[in-house]
Amino acid sequence: MIRRCLLNAESLLLISLSLSLLALGHRSYRAKMTIEEAEPNPHILGWIEDSVSFFPSLLDDPYDSSEINGYNWWDPNQDFAQDLIYTSATSITSTITTADSSAHTDATPDTTATAMNPTVAANHSEESVTQEMSKKRKASLDNQDHTQRRNQSPSTIENSGSIDVKPAKPVLGVKRAAGKKRSAVSSGNNGNNCNNKEGRWAEQLLNPCAAAIAANNLNRVQHLLYVLHELASPTGDPNHRLASHGLRALTYHLSSSTSLPSSAPFTFSSAEPRFFQKSILRFNESSPWFAFPSNIVNSSILQVLSEEPDKSRNLHILDIGVSHGAQWPTLLDSLSRRPGGPPPLVRLTAISPTGDGGDADTPFSMAPPGYDVSPLLLGFAKTLNINLQINRLNNVPLQGLNPQSIDASPDEILIISAQFRLHHLNHSDRTEFLKSLRALCPKGVILSENNGDCACAGCVDFATGFSLRIEYLWRFLDSTSAAFKGRESEERRMMEGEAARELTSAAEMNERRERWCERMREAGFAGEGLGEDAIDGGRALLRKHDGNWDMKVEEDGGSHCCLSLGWKGQPVSFCSLWKLSGGGK
Amino acid sequence: MAMAMAIDDATGLDFSAHSTSTTTTTTTTMADDEYGCNWNDWSPVVDWNALSGGQDDFQDLIESMIDESGLQPARSAVNYQEGCNSPSTDTTMFTDEEASGGDLKGLRLVHLLMAAAEALTGVNKCHELARVILVRLKELVSPTDGTNMERLAAHFTEALQGLLEGAGGGHGKHPTSGGPQRDDHHHHHQADVLAAFQLMQDMSPYIKFGHFTANQAILEAVTQHRRVHIVDYDIMEGIQWASLMQALVSRKDGPPVPHLRITALSRGGNGRRSIGTVQETGRRLTAFASSIGQPFSFHQCRLDSDETFRPSSLKLVRGEALIFNCMLHLPHFSYRAPESVASFLSGAKTLNPRLVTLVEEELGPIGVQGFVSRFIDSLHHYSAMYDSLEAGFPMQCRARALVERVFLGPQIIGSLARIYRTCSDEEGGSWRQWLGATGFRPVDISFANHCQAKLLLGLFNDGYRVEELANNRLVLGWKSRRLLSASIWSSPFDSDL
Repeated sequence: MIRRCLLNAESLLLISLSLSLLALGHRSYRAKMTIEEAEPNPHILGWIEDSVSFFPSLLDDPYDSSEINGYNWWDPNQDFAQDLIYTSATSITSTITTADSSAHTDATPDTTATAMNPTVAANHSEESVTQEMSKKRKASLDNQDHTQRRNQSPSTIENSGSIDVKPAKPVLGVKRAAGKKRSAVSSGNNGNNCNNKEGRWAEQLLNPCAAAIAANNLNRVQHLLYVLHELASPTGDPNHRLASHGLRALTYHLSSSTSLPSSAPFTFSSAEPRFFQKSILRFNESSPWFAFPSNIVNSSILQVLSEEPDKSRNLHILDIGVSHGAQWPTLLDSLSRRPGGPPPLVRLTAISPTGDGGDADTPFSMAPPGYDVSPLLLGFAKTLNINLQINRLNNVPLQGLNPQSIDASPDEILIISAQFRLHHLNHSDRTEFLKSLRALCPKGVILSENNGDCACAGCVDFATGFSLRIEYLWRFLDSTSAAFKGRESEERRMMEGEAARELTSAAEMNERRERWCERMREAGFAGEGLGEDAIDGGRALLRKHDGNWDMKVEEDGGSHCCLSLGWKGQPVSFCSLWKLSGGGK
Repeated sequence: MAMAMAIDDATGLDFSAHSTSTTTTTTTTMADDEYGCNWNDWSPVVDWNALSGGQDDFQDLIESMIDESGLQPARSAVNYQEGCNSPSTDTTMFTDEEASGGDLKGLRLVHLLMAAAEALTGVNKCHELARVILVRLKELVSPTDGTNMERLAAHFTEALQGLLEGAGGGHGKHPTSGGPQRDDHHHHHQADVLAAFQLMQDMSPYIKFGHFTANQAILEAVTQHRRVHIVDYDIMEGIQWASLMQALVSRKDGPPVPHLRITALSRGGNGRRSIGTVQETGRRLTAFASSIGQPFSFHQCRLDSDETFRPSSLKLVRGEALIFNCMLHLPHFSYRAPESVASFLSGAKTLNPRLVTLVEEELGPIGVQGFVSRFIDSLHHYSAMYDSLEAGFPMQCRARALVERVFLGPQIIGSLARIYRTCSDEEGGSWRQWLGATGFRPVDISFANHCQAKLLLGLFNDGYRVEELANNRLVLGWKSRRLLSASIWSSPFDSDL
């Protein structure tokens, strides 16, 4: 702040200095003019006076062309015969013949003269051909360059125009990509992405802006903010929406050191509880973004249960998720239809984000204050004759989970559902946490997470992280636009506002599916093949939604433990089923 | 509004009205505030200082605007001020406090235009982005309505739209050079063209500056000659020669009035300067000459179909002082292909003319490369022109609108299309550089000629400037922007006949 004041004072000083200089300049200029006026060139002045004389009449009626034709020096009434003009011409034709021919021979060397100017004359056509060719060559080179870069490192920004890319980061990106298996996803990346990128104009402003911020190129930042400001809109095409959310995030980033963002977007925490509940149910009907993983979780729970020989044991579900209860009615329904009936007791232990450590900062994790889905679920369970017990743990941080805190009993079948919540854990704490889950001795763990690279400040620079977040949000906005068939609604606004928290959340420490699976194995879990029911169920669900959604069964070590969900060929999330490894009972 | 009146008064073309410095500063300052689109003062809002000449740095102004528009982030961006090297810093003090809606909108438009230009080309090329920006621009502006900047932006928007459509489908399908969006104005009604020309001539010194400077040099060069032969590359309405004739016949105690012969180059084909019109110009000039007693004859010399000039097609008379007159890019002129101009000037070289008079557009700093920077340069150029016209005639919206519609709008479209086509080409620089490199010798501009230019500008708004940038070259500018350059040359060989 102090620095800023100083600069302003300095600039003020400069301005006042140049003002006084200007005034001086004016005076001397004036003085010169009066001297010149003293010695006018008579005939020129005459001309000038002439033109002054008709000035006012033009002011009165600039459109009267008759006035203009009556301009004092050419007389429209004069009608000279054309041959008058030519008479003198014919009389001198003979005299010039010699000069004429010499001129003609001289005309050839013209080309040497013109050659000095590259834009000129004879050489031009040839030149333009070569230029055309070199242009094409350049263009194809550019293309190659682009695709190469895209292949190498999805995390480096495409529009690096004015950023100086810090050498360390791209290398990291390359390494990561090289170590990665070239799955179907990344090949879809190339084919599809090229086509799609052109339509995604908002990123063409947001990413360069983030890069300019990183490069401290403030003029460019300002320019791009101006343009974004013009094009951003919370409604309409997903690009406009992305521009709007992105602009807010950049604004927040720029001002966070001094002040908070002025207007908060519509998010879960500012929603009315009943509206919130209705909205997430409806969102799950129209978009598989969360409905798909929920569906897989439910089928996986049933799968795990079906593998248990003892049908009389209680079921205990540990819900570390973002579904806010919306996924459980389906499960309860399925349980009631299970051959042999539902378990004698179904316990649901939901872990609410605790607010510290970034859990609450994770998008979609926080329900509005006052929201409680329990009565609804209990009522529903009653109609199904299921003995349901719901326990909400509001003050237990994830790291504090243990058999006591969740009131586990050795007789029950414990299944853990972890959906889109664990990525807020620090990379370094993550495996440890998974080990603590293992210590609960669950019969199954279903892990669903965003499938992407980490955007946190510890992993990548600001611009790279921002572009990753923007890319994630683009998928959400684009698919949500399809889900709502372009219609505007408050529900849509809330869902998108919540998703946009991704842009500013410090807790977005995603990892790729492969890394998560690695961690699960490190923590002592083994991938469990997803059954036909789960896979078919997922497939059936996607059929009800936009054709741009796709699902892939990932084969890791021979088992189909993972399902990937993608939008337009880009990875969105994955679901995986795990059991304790080594027959660890 | 009182200020608008003051400006109106100031254009009353009365020397005395401008005699005190206080009056003038007020008028210019207020003009800037009132009409909002003073590019000269605002230009480098973006990182392009280096490209656009880096005149002015008005971060404070921008800061105040951004604050108003609720874009707080840019606050931090504003601390960055390297200093003010502007010659006309006066706007800042006022706009800081009273940045009007117009100013802000002008700034927004400039940003959008630059972004659209950038999206059309270069590494960040994204036609979809360009399209979206142009849609937004069209919501914001109209070519016939609004402030200076808004109308100017409308023409630039239209021009960019044309480029986008041309570039949209297949690559390489550039707007054809002979297409209807060329900068010609033949699709306008002839009466409109004449009216617009007349207005242009009266509203600004752009036309007269070139004519007067060239004529004065011609007058000075032919004092000893009995016969003068002028070969005119682009005679247009021929108004330049009317004034020359008047000057020739009214020379006091000078030599007898010489015989004046003018050969106008005419274009074949269906161009606007068809032979018919050149003939008409000839008729008018002949009539005028006889009415003031100027011995005169008029000829035409047809250019080849590709507008190439062949010196052999010229009829010459031994002993006459040969003058090559080349007026290019005056605001009302059609665009001429460089090949054609080159053939004319190199043809001139073979004929040993007494004088070559050249008037051309003054482009941005040499070395400006790439579409975006040349686009910005062009925006800068035309905004200076718009500003100057507006400062001259603040109340004459309809008159200005006509000039803009008939001349400037089409010119902007043509000029951007050319920049777009050639954006990766090496720029050829100016014709005066070409003349110098080809061996033509500079002819000094006389003191009288310089004074005449200053007197001429004195008739118009204060913002016009004339600079003598070389011994043989005068440059007309609006505020800090140089617009037209007039230079005088003679044959490389000893041409004393």
